[in-house]
Amino acid sequence: MNNTIEKIVKVLLTIIVSFLVGAIFILIIDENPLDAYTALIEGAFSGKLMFGTTLANFTPLLLTSIAFAIAAKAGAFNVGVEGEIFLGGIAAAYIGINWTFLPAPLLYVACFAGAIIVGAAWAWIPGVLKAYYNVSEVCTTILMNTVAVYLTSYLVNGPMSGGGVNAQSADVAVTLKQFMRPSSANVGIIISIIVSILIIVMYYKTSFGFKLKSVGSNPSFSDCMGIDSKKIFVKAMMLSGAIGGLVGCIEVLGVHGYYLDNFATNLGINGMLAALIVKSNLVMCPPLAFFLAILRTGALRMQQSTGVPKSLVDTITAIFIIFATMDSLFNLDVFKKIKRKKPFDTKLAKGVK
Amino acid sequence: MDLSSILNASLIYATFRSATPIIYAALCASLTQQADILNIGTEGIMLTGAFAAVAISYTTGSWVLAIIVAMLAGLLMAAIMAVANIKYGADICAIGMGINMFAIAITKFLMTSVFGMRGTFSNPDIVAIPRVVIPGLESIPFLNEVFNGWALTEWFVIVFIVLMWFLLFKTKWGLHLRSVGQYPMAAQTAGINVTSMKYQAILISGLIGGLAGAHLSLGYSRLFTENMTNNRGFMGVAAMFFGNAHPVWTSVGCLVFGLTDSIGARLQAYGIAAQLVLMLPYIVTIVVLSISMVSKYYTKKRRQSSLLLIR
Repeated sequence: MNNTIEKIVKVLLTIIVSFLVGAIFILIIDENPLDAYTALIEGAFSGKLMFGTTLANFTPLLLTSIAFAIAAKAGAFNVGVEGEIFLGGIAAAYIGINWTFLPAPLLYVACFAGAIIVGAAWAWIPGVLKAYYNVSEVCTTILMNTVAVYLTSYLVNGPMSGGGVNAQSADVAVTLKQFMRPSSANVGIIISIIVSILIIVMYYKTSFGFKLKSVGSNPSFSDCMGIDSKKIFVKAMMLSGAIGGLVGCIEVLGVHGYYLDNFATNLGINGMLAALIVKSNLVMCPPLAFFLAILRTGALRMQQSTGVPKSLVDTITAIFIIFATMDSLFNLDVFKKIKRKKPFDTKLAKGVK
Repeated sequence: MDLSSILNASLIYATFRSATPIIYAALCASLTQQADILNIGTEGIMLTGAFAAVAISYTTGSWVLAIIVAMLAGLLMAAIMAVANIKYGADICAIGMGINMFAIAITKFLMTSVFGMRGTFSNPDIVAIPRVVIPGLESIPFLNEVFNGWALTEWFVIVFIVLMWFLLFKTKWGLHLRSVGQYPMAAQTAGINVTSMKYQAILISGLIGGLAGAHLSLGYSRLFTENMTNNRGFMGVAAMFFGNAHPVWTSVGCLVFGLTDSIGARLQAYGIAAQLVLMLPYIVTIVVLSISMVSKYYTKKRRQSSLLLIR
């Protein structure tokens, strides 16, 4: 319990420090930090449109942060969630447009299933390459993101084009209901909350979750205990990819109603940021994803009412990560009555193969 | 399709031209890799360098100063990474991605707030790195096409590859660095200050990364756009894996990517969709990286099994 409080305090400290650094940036460009931050928070909650937009931003962020975190639990650094969103989205759009012979309920299932399968299959490639051949998954997933962006862009400009001026596909036959018009908040938020709860329960309460944890903390020990660490690693990547595909499906069916070129730019990356800040702690991902959603929505208002550009929010979030990843930065003595001594040369011992 | 219009003399320079920024990035990544640190932040270091170079070149009109400031900007980013990773125990992938995100955000922020530009920062006042015109070469048809008009940093990269090789494999410092990477405990026992070596590796790679960025924005082109590195840093890291962090082999890997890039650009003239062409270098990078790692895996496995037989 004490441990949990310490973690939360650390995250809060990180947030405060990052906002202070952000304030310095605002001062440099001759604006008032207090005004900017007030506009930022107000912007996220004032009125139905803005609050709805916050919820709409929260939906993909929640799932992408969970997707990154669950892969991280098995020791994978899956930057490829974004590519999986793009491909899941295009798969959902393809099925939603072309398989209209199915009755509506089945079509929903088909869209979601298609997106999930495509997302998982895309994540399977870097998973296998890393687990069996030690190819850096950071490198492959990032490069595969670019491939996914260009591939879907080609499809939506060429074979799957809706024929309009914009690069977008035809309308899909089924959509998720939007409940807070004119914002694009939709029932996808319920789906994403349910899925996140399921993933959290799976991680803490099932044997598969335990295997993930075991593989993530010590693969060779897991192998000795009869857990095939490589298989679990690939499965974790595929699970992460499946969630990514799901996000793509929710965005296409819920927000747009068609496949829009480049619709998911930075969705996956922002989810990854949320997960990195809380060190992939699954329970703390949702609140942080919500916090980031507030920042993203409020950034627009801040840009309109003050002279601070909205890229400041990206800067602040990036500073979050830099501070949050430093494990021992906020190791204050308040938490530990006896200052824990670092065991000698643990870092060196890690390098020994 | 006319093959001769794709494979001609100008392809040689086109390949080298698109490979050069990646070569600098790859050298940045391979220096830290020799000390067993995976430099995921290459991309961010490079992007910061690219922005700093354009900003300084625009305000002062000096490309020399621009390169120096770009290298210092790279050094600063690398310093953040070094302190976070070595002193405060940050995971190198996490801090690297943090640096990349920070670079994208801060360059965008500074571009809009300080220079008032959105998307692309281009201006006739930006002074590019000069191009080398060799006198007397104009009259020789083939050589003129291949060698004339290279940017200064493009010539320098060849010197730099050799320099890196010499530094890593022929000097005491390089030996120490590699020993830190291969067996840190042994290195420490031999009296090498492991922490200091790691700091040095990351900081120097920051200088190289800044240079990579300066070349990208002032030598390769003469402008800055949001996220202009466009994953070149990661291609550099992939090339580093391909070449086992050896400067020469790493550069060969970069040339392969450069070749794909420039052939792709020519294919676009034949009605192949732009997206498919742009996708090509990335796919080739992934495939080359995978093949090299898979073959490495089997070589290692073969060696292991023969050792087991001896035992």
